[in-house]
Amino acid sequence: MPSFQLTVNGRVRTVDADADTPLLWILRDTLGLTGTKFGCGQGVCGSCTVHLDGQAVKSCQTSLKEAAGHAVMTVEGLSKDGSHPVQRAWLAEDVAQCGYCQPGMIMSAAALLRHKPHPSDRDIDEAFADHVCRCGTYPRIRKAVKRAAGGVK
Amino acid sequence: MTSRRDFLKVTGAAGTGLVLGLHLEAKPTPGEAARAEFKPNAFLALRPDGTVRITVSKTEMGQGVRTALPMALAEELDLDWSRIEVVNALPGPDFKSMQTGGSTSVSSTWNPLRKAGAAARQMLVAAAAAQWKVSLDQCRTEKGFVLGPSGQKLGYGDLAEAAAKLPVPKDPPLKKASEYRLLGGRMPRFDGPAIVTGKAIFGIDVRRPGQRFAAVLRCPVPGGQPKAWDDNKAKATPGVKAVVKVPTGLAVVADSTWAAFKGREALAASTTWDEGPGKDFSSVALEAKMRAALTGPADEARKEGDVDKALAVAARLIEAEYSFPYQAHATVEPMNATVHLQTDGAEMWTGSQSPNKAQTTAAAALGLKPDQMKLNVALIGGGFGRRLGTDFSTEAAELAKAAGGGPVQIVWDREDDFRHDLFHPATLHRMRAGLDASGGLSAWAHRIAGPSILRSWLGGQKSPGQASAEANGALDIPYAIPALQVDFAEVEAPTPLGWWRGIEIVPNVFARECFLDEVAHASGKDPLQLRLDLLGHQGIVKFGRDEADIRRLKKVLQVAAEKAGWGRKLAAGRGLGLACHAYDGRTYAAEVAEVSVQKGQLRVHKITCAVDCGFVVNPSGLEAQVEGGIAFGLSALFTQITWDRGRTVQTGFQDFPLVRLADMPVIETHIVPSAEAPSGMGEPPVPLAIPAVLNAVFAATGKRIRRVPLVSDSLK
Ligand code: FES
Ligand code: FES
Repeated sequence: MPSFQLTVNGRVRTVDADADTPLLWILRDTLGLTGTKFGCGQGVCGSCTVHLDGQAVKSCQTSLKEAAGHAVMTVEGLSKDGSHPVQRAWLAEDVAQCGYCQPGMIMSAAALLRHKPHPSDRDIDEAFADHVCRCGTYPRIRKAVKRAAGGVK
Repeated sequence: MTSRRDFLKVTGAAGTGLVLGLHLEAKPTPGEAARAEFKPNAFLALRPDGTVRITVSKTEMGQGVRTALPMALAEELDLDWSRIEVVNALPGPDFKSMQTGGSTSVSSTWNPLRKAGAAARQMLVAAAAAQWKVSLDQCRTEKGFVLGPSGQKLGYGDLAEAAAKLPVPKDPPLKKASEYRLLGGRMPRFDGPAIVTGKAIFGIDVRRPGQRFAAVLRCPVPGGQPKAWDDNKAKATPGVKAVVKVPTGLAVVADSTWAAFKGREALAASTTWDEGPGKDFSSVALEAKMRAALTGPADEARKEGDVDKALAVAARLIEAEYSFPYQAHATVEPMNATVHLQTDGAEMWTGSQSPNKAQTTAAAALGLKPDQMKLNVALIGGGFGRRLGTDFSTEAAELAKAAGGGPVQIVWDREDDFRHDLFHPATLHRMRAGLDASGGLSAWAHRIAGPSILRSWLGGQKSPGQASAEANGALDIPYAIPALQVDFAEVEAPTPLGWWRGIEIVPNVFARECFLDEVAHASGKDPLQLRLDLLGHQGIVKFGRDEADIRRLKKVLQVAAEKAGWGRKLAAGRGLGLACHAYDGRTYAAEVAEVSVQKGQLRVHKITCAVDCGFVVNPSGLEAQVEGGIAFGLSALFTQITWDRGRTVQTGFQDFPLVRLADMPVIETHIVPSAEAPSGMGEPPVPLAIPAVLNAVFAATGKRIRRVPLVSDSLK
């Protein structure tokens, strides 16, 4: 089995797995980082969103080969203690219902705010176009993104 | 409808602090049992260090029970909220009825939990008073401490052991609402911090030492079985350990989820199926049968006056057919369960809304006694009724038996989840109304035709409560109409069915509230005024097993209409529509939708919802339920499951267009204050979204949509 190196939440990891294994399963099953969720494996729900070199990507659609040599950040790496501005805004707006889609939402929000510190409603619509929340937390997601606006470096 | 015996018992032991268990038993009425077994339990442990463990016997699935239930107990006990720990109950002798559904979690545990808190508080105060040699009424409690008359102060932890030796008060007095410090305040979700940091453990996140992962290759037609297969390629897939037959299909066991999926793909290519009795089932054929059943024999759910005669003599007859499709739960976390078979029993981790049933069925599959199966209830990534089923947990037990060895986790993928849901079935509705010479509504007939959820749930048995269950939302039509008939004509379907958020009330209230809108327009009345007239001066009205206070319904309708600006002038292409319902006679809700239709494109701008669900434990949680319930109801206007050659046509989110963030209207929630005991909020907002929106579409365009899902062509 081939060996790949990638940086996950600031730590260099060496992984032995097939090149086409989705990053999602490397994170969840190989590295034990279960904060990144499996919702569809088809790129249409956003639950598996992580950052690859600071960009939001769907880890179910990103192969190990593509991730190798790059920096991956998962929800576990966003802050040590839940103090990232997006996490704090999420708590302040009491966004989560079941919580399952939320790590993906939070990662997309963090990437959006990094690139656009003051997003418009349309920017927010677009950033979450590929995300499903069956519990319907959408109104609070919008509020939380606005609350965190300007605070993400 | 439900008789309850509640009693408290102390199971304190020296050194372990005060452990106050609370045992409740409730006998549900027949027919109700399947959906709403109201048998909660709760459990409290005060530790010597002053921390408090509250055990929650209802499954958290996003509705906030791990926040709301501890709040009720913590309030009466005057706990320090920052020092509580919340754990999920284990099904077994202490917790015999943990079923979570029917919007009953708060209502069924509200009194017992408060009493448990109040009883414990009284005992702690008594222990402190004895120590200080003062009278009880000289002591008070605050945030985990008992305070004495001359500055004495003792933490609950220090008093726990002495308190545990005291008798449990039978009927401790409860606080007045004006004394509440926690209840009625906005309390954020207890699990919020764990969720936003990715630390919350859902069933699919369970990791045990030596754990293997499995995927099951199931026949695309529910109920089908593999006929022949060649597992060589699957076994040659890197990471795959074994291929074993299980009752639901062929399981590929591997050292990672991905390897199990890959192995299964290889196995699928070489497998042929005996597709079973459902193989020719199609939505088209079902619809023809349902249409035939709209005029054939049926089971009566409610009858008042002589409808046939009233319709025959009516000055004007209005008739319409409404249609609602199959629906899927589509929880974002797919079904999963982890089982570890041990020498003297087994342990399971899964997100279940029916932990007791999951425990007993899995134990039976393994030839174990229920108490040999330890079932750990994980957080649920969306329930909506899907996880009332035990198909996925039993399957995991069967697999553990077949595969042997250490812990093994079955993960369904998205296609498994869509193809093997416990579906909400399609229905057709024949609506007839008669108007008298002065335009008054004199007769109402609602015929529902479709498969029976209750029969499927009861394993194919027809229960005496079948017609009333399937007519829920139709038979409890709150309007005073002289002649009224509601009945259900069953049409068989070979598909597994189950409870889906809002249950039968969703299609039935859609047909009822949209057809009433038709009646309003036909008789030249304003839809709000017609409803208010028909609600009239009714007080408490009995519908089968439920009774509703029509005055409370009238009030929420008025509040929603007023807050939404009912009657104001709108731009061309915009419209307002409304709908209301008294959910199980317990929660009263009304919604007004504001929509626009431009070039055939529907946009829902805003939904204003007024609710009366008794005392509101946590307004933040309640508003979340309204927002989420409306998102769920609105999604059902666009989604459907259709069947062809016995299998679902839809296999994932890509062909099940759930509402996304950009589609979400502004939601405005207005709570009508009430001193009544709290009722449920998980389901009541759901059924009103579709009729409110479609009535608004009519107001905006003059187009009457009677068929769900809405296809955009119908608005052009
Ligand atoms: S799991 Fe990756 S988009 Fe759904
Ligand atoms: S919070 Fe449950 S799916 Fe989004």
